[in-house]
Amino acid sequence: MASTSISKAEKSYIQAGFLSSPPLRADGRALHDFRSVALETGVAPLANGSARLSIGANAHDGGGGTEVLAATKLEVENVEEDGCDGGRIVCTVTCSPAAYPQLSSNALDDLQYDMTVILHQTLSHPSLHPNNLGILPKKKSWLLNLDIVVLADAGNIYDAIFMAARAALWDTKVPKTRSVEYKVRKGNSGGVVGGKTGSSGDMDVDEETTSGFDTRQIQQATDFELTDYWDEGEVLDGRERWPISITLNLPPPTHFLDATLPEESAVPLKALLVYSFPPSESPNVQAMRILGSGELTVVLLKDLVKEGEKYARELFIALNSKLKEEDIRRNQKARERFARR
Amino acid sequence: MVEITIRKRPRTEAVVTQHKFLKKTARGKVIKVLRERYLRDDVACGIQGCPVCDMPAEDVLPVAGDKEHPMFPNGHFILPDTNVFLSQMDLIESSLFTPPIILLQTVIEEVRHRSLPLYNRLKALTKMDDKRVWVFYNEYRSETAIVREEDETPNDRNDRGIRSATSWYSAHITLAHPPVRGRVSEKVPTIVLLTEDAANREKAERSGISAISVRNYVNKMKNATQLLDLLSATGTNELEPTRASSGGRAALYSDYLSTSTLLAGIKSGILHQGHFNANQYNYLEGSVSVAAFDKSVLLVGRENMNRAVDGDVVVVEIFDEKEWRASTNEVVDQDATLKNDDAEASGDDGEELDTNSLVDEESKLVRNGAKTVGTERQPTGRIVGIIKRNWRAYVCHIDSTSLSTATSTSLALQTVFATPVSRLLPRIRLRTRQAPILLGQKILVTIDRWDAHSRYPEGHFVRALGKAETKEAEQESLLLEFDVPYRPFGKAILDCLPKEGDQWVVPLKQDVSKEWRDREDLRELIICSIDPPNCQDIDDALHARQLPNGNIEAGVHIADVSHFVLPDNPMDSEAASRGTTVYLVDKRIDMLPSLLGTNLCSLRPFVERLAFSAIWEMTPTAEIVNVRFTKSVIASKAAFTYAEAQTRKDDPNLNDPLTQSIRLLNTLALKLKEKRMAAGALNLASPEVKIHLDSSESSEPIDVEQKELHETNSLVEEFMLLANISVARKIQDTFPQTAVLRRHLPPPKANFEKLQDILQKRKGMTLDVSSSGTLAASLDKCVDPAEPAFNTLVRIMATRCMLSAEYFCSGSVGRETFGHYGLASPIYTHFTSPIRRYADVLAHRQLAASIGYTPLHATLHSKSHVERILDVVNRRHRMAQMAGRASVEFYVGLALKGRGEREKKDGQGHVRESAFVIRTFRNGLGVFVSKLGIEGLVMFKRDTQFDPDNYTITVPGAGGDVHIAVFDKIVVDIEVEKDKNTQRGKINMTLVEPVDSRAL
Repeated sequence: MASTSISKAEKSYIQAGFLSSPPLRADGRALHDFRSVALETGVAPLANGSARLSIGANAHDGGGGTEVLAATKLEVENVEEDGCDGGRIVCTVTCSPAAYPQLSSNALDDLQYDMTVILHQTLSHPSLHPNNLGILPKKKSWLLNLDIVVLADAGNIYDAIFMAARAALWDTKVPKTRSVEYKVRKGNSGGVVGGKTGSSGDMDVDEETTSGFDTRQIQQATDFELTDYWDEGEVLDGRERWPISITLNLPPPTHFLDATLPEESAVPLKALLVYSFPPSESPNVQAMRILGSGELTVVLLKDLVKEGEKYARELFIALNSKLKEEDIRRNQKARERFARR
Repeated sequence: MVEITIRKRPRTEAVVTQHKFLKKTARGKVIKVLRERYLRDDVACGIQGCPVCDMPAEDVLPVAGDKEHPMFPNGHFILPDTNVFLSQMDLIESSLFTPPIILLQTVIEEVRHRSLPLYNRLKALTKMDDKRVWVFYNEYRSETAIVREEDETPNDRNDRGIRSATSWYSAHITLAHPPVRGRVSEKVPTIVLLTEDAANREKAERSGISAISVRNYVNKMKNATQLLDLLSATGTNELEPTRASSGGRAALYSDYLSTSTLLAGIKSGILHQGHFNANQYNYLEGSVSVAAFDKSVLLVGRENMNRAVDGDVVVVEIFDEKEWRASTNEVVDQDATLKNDDAEASGDDGEELDTNSLVDEESKLVRNGAKTVGTERQPTGRIVGIIKRNWRAYVCHIDSTSLSTATSTSLALQTVFATPVSRLLPRIRLRTRQAPILLGQKILVTIDRWDAHSRYPEGHFVRALGKAETKEAEQESLLLEFDVPYRPFGKAILDCLPKEGDQWVVPLKQDVSKEWRDREDLRELIICSIDPPNCQDIDDALHARQLPNGNIEAGVHIADVSHFVLPDNPMDSEAASRGTTVYLVDKRIDMLPSLLGTNLCSLRPFVERLAFSAIWEMTPTAEIVNVRFTKSVIASKAAFTYAEAQTRKDDPNLNDPLTQSIRLLNTLALKLKEKRMAAGALNLASPEVKIHLDSSESSEPIDVEQKELHETNSLVEEFMLLANISVARKIQDTFPQTAVLRRHLPPPKANFEKLQDILQKRKGMTLDVSSSGTLAASLDKCVDPAEPAFNTLVRIMATRCMLSAEYFCSGSVGRETFGHYGLASPIYTHFTSPIRRYADVLAHRQLAASIGYTPLHATLHSKSHVERILDVVNRRHRMAQMAGRASVEFYVGLALKGRGEREKKDGQGHVRESAFVIRTFRNGLGVFVSKLGIEGLVMFKRDTQFDPDNYTITVPGAGGDVHIAVFDKIVVDIEVEKDKNTQRGKINMTLVEPVDSRAL
């Protein structure tokens, strides 16, 4: 996509490499190998959840790879105004101009827009919606803003975006709230001594009838409070479900993963497959995109989806173990180190 | 080359270095706040000469700690937990409580979070000279800083922090006392964790920290008896598992809702917030004025008043409209009804027989009220929660009947009742060992809490003020009751005075002297001052002279206080917080140090003084041609009393310039007054009496008389009004956003309804309240030819229907509400008494800036600042008036007593005066004795025939039934009697004519 212009000769050289046996890539990887992925969560202390992810960064100076920063921020919204009951998620991808120096600002906007659409449509899908984004039913809810900044693109940007998004959402803590309401206590308005006991007979008429036909549920709660101002809150519900994407680059008849920039420009077609792995269910394909100018048959696509799932699962497991490790590093270990000091 | 290292803090340590918390803003947003934390190793321990810490010179904790406590013979320091400050602040503040205190940062912050007033007291405590308090920043010392564990509540975390600081101190202190070879090792003082939380104590003891509860600690102290009294009631309960708490006792009141629930209810409009006002005639009734209703919300019965104390900000729930009722029209005296209630019994054993009967009696009283028909019903409700308590220290007497043993030597702990001097407050129950000693004294009591199962609030003794009815005790109790700051001025304040002291004089007129800069030399003018007798703080002087063009020049010269009181120095802030000078009958509490008030700023005769002058040119018909303001130097030629000026004016033989000047002023004043009255100004009245004191030494007043008014009173008043109005216009023009003005809002029509109704029914007179002018006119018509005092009475009652005037900042309210209703002036301010009112000082500064004399101080450009100051001044002003009135009342009481005794000697027995009926109750009459300026109650022992619609009661007399109605003239016997139990003085009135009420 972010095409570095390469010559025909280079292109055909790279393509020939994929098709040779064994396949050859410029950096010596096998077709289905990833470059090294580095991840750190909690990088933005003021965000509710954040992560920084890089693919293929140089081990010595940390430069040269694809680099993405993701952060989530929760905002309180009134349902009547512009929120929706039970909360909503809005994803935005911004590309740093430094990541794509060759693009004009209009082209950059288009690119950001494309990325935003793919990410937003996938993540705001109802099947993934967390249950704890509501504050007060029909009154107030959380708006989860997921902002992604592409700092550098050295190929395979979509996988990086989705992984970073997943990490940031995993890291997101929703402040615990308690709804505050005032209920009129029926029948017992404080008990004026004597004054009322005598007239209690006609009070029964006023009593509210509880009937199954009465479907009105009037919410009395008008406001909420934070239960614990020190605690960042509970994790976002269903954080296991957040999907990851796998980009299959398709130089027919084979496919390979994690393309570098020159590789991307040498391949006409790629398939973007987004899988979610709910803990005890079978995996779901959450989204699928074919990018590029080539063609793809349905039969081939079926195989690709199956293959893709295999790669995605590996990536998912690796990512999960890293996320858990990060959690421990940031809390338990930090505390222990503090205690040992 | 210098090597620069960047000590960047790795993000991996974020959990230690960053302190994060969430905050909900007022607009309902949730924001995350992040604070960086830097830990260090050089936070000092504060112990004198500690070899480990690099101590600054100001270390405060003695090396050996405090050795006076028998439980800690090696010496000790106390380290109090947060709850100690939250509940036992009075104890810690007591000068008898002397152990050295280590105050942790965690504790300070927790106190701040829980209660701002207590936090301020705590801050003051750390600066007190007689306290040894060291603030230890434990959250910043690397050894004592802690990080919150997973699932740890904030409270637990703080407790852990406090414990870890305690153990660090214990370890640290052994380093400070290193064993020296060949010497007996020094005894190491103990660090004692003082906490009310049993769980925390237990945990502390498990980790080897000595911990103790406040009560146990104080019990063993030298002056335990005095100190134990200061313990707040909270200490005995709840947190102490050894004592059974309230247990199965039935709750008398419903529980309060949580603050957030209340706010939610208020937001949704179901609940209403307002100030609770107790009814001074009926202790079982109160009212809350809320924005949603025109009439205030009535609360009937203890349960519905739900433990509110006068002045609290409460939240009420309104009943259905069919349950609304009218106020009872009955006098219910707390002391009379509750006299049998036993302090111990209702405190410890719960409901007993006599308390049951008491409940019955109370509910009967409440029901009685329910029967009242006819009079208008008002919204009725109950209190469901309290937003803010307005508890302070109250002046009380101990109720002698509540004492179980009265032997003065007994030091047994007893529960007694303290009856507040103010009738608006409930009795307070307190536990004390000093009860027999405190009997007959005025004491200060603080309310600690009021539990749902306790009929009375619980409090503790703060200090004794002295024997009741002694001049000192009464004076101090008055000042405390009305929150008047009466401490002598501190050194920082006195340092702001001119260095020359009373030797200060206006320097010679030279170009170099800064006093003369831009000042007009008015020393040659014939200026004089007219004031009440014995006036020492003369803040105004006047002059008038004929101009060649036929016009008259009149000048008002006001003491130039703002020359001495500069903005934002200690003297200025003290004056701002005092707000006004308070005049009691026998004492004046100055707003400014007396050097200024009675000397340098006082426009005494024959000396040169700095002044701020307003000078008008007027036509002989008192039309203003122009006005100018200038700083000046004047030399008054005479200081008259009102009476002296009057005789001088009236003496046809005198024709000197001074007398002419007074005459000129007088003619102008008459015309000014005429114009003012034509514009609709009100001539109001308040019962003002004058107390003759025998001498300044004795507290025995000789007699009471009503103040006499001279024509010259009105002369001075007119010119002061004129000056105030002119200045108000000027500063409002120059500073439209922040001008300090004074207004009097027109009273709501509803306030007059009752008075109109009474006048109509009883006298057939009408009161037209559509504007101040029509009101003034109709008040003039309310004349009873047979009774000249009747008109004054109506004026007094009309005054009571009005709102009080207030200071305000011109930018904060709408232009159309600037008007002064009583004076019928579109704009008004206070300018003429800067010695005794702070608002005038502000007006002076603004006027000086508006004539370009000085630039305006930045604070006076800030609307919020001006508003804040004026809020204080308004409150102080109100309090000062009430204090002054209460002081007069006390002396009237004394005078009556004296007169009663004298007449008893003469065989008469009673002080007999004629009085007007101003209110009728089911079981009594409210009367006003105009000669003495006092109000009183005539109570009947049984109900009379009461007609609330016609304001009449019918009582059986010797020759058939007698009707008594509002405005009737009756004769009463007045007697000052002391309540036998509480020593609270009380004016008792009995009806003599038309019937003798002793039989009723």
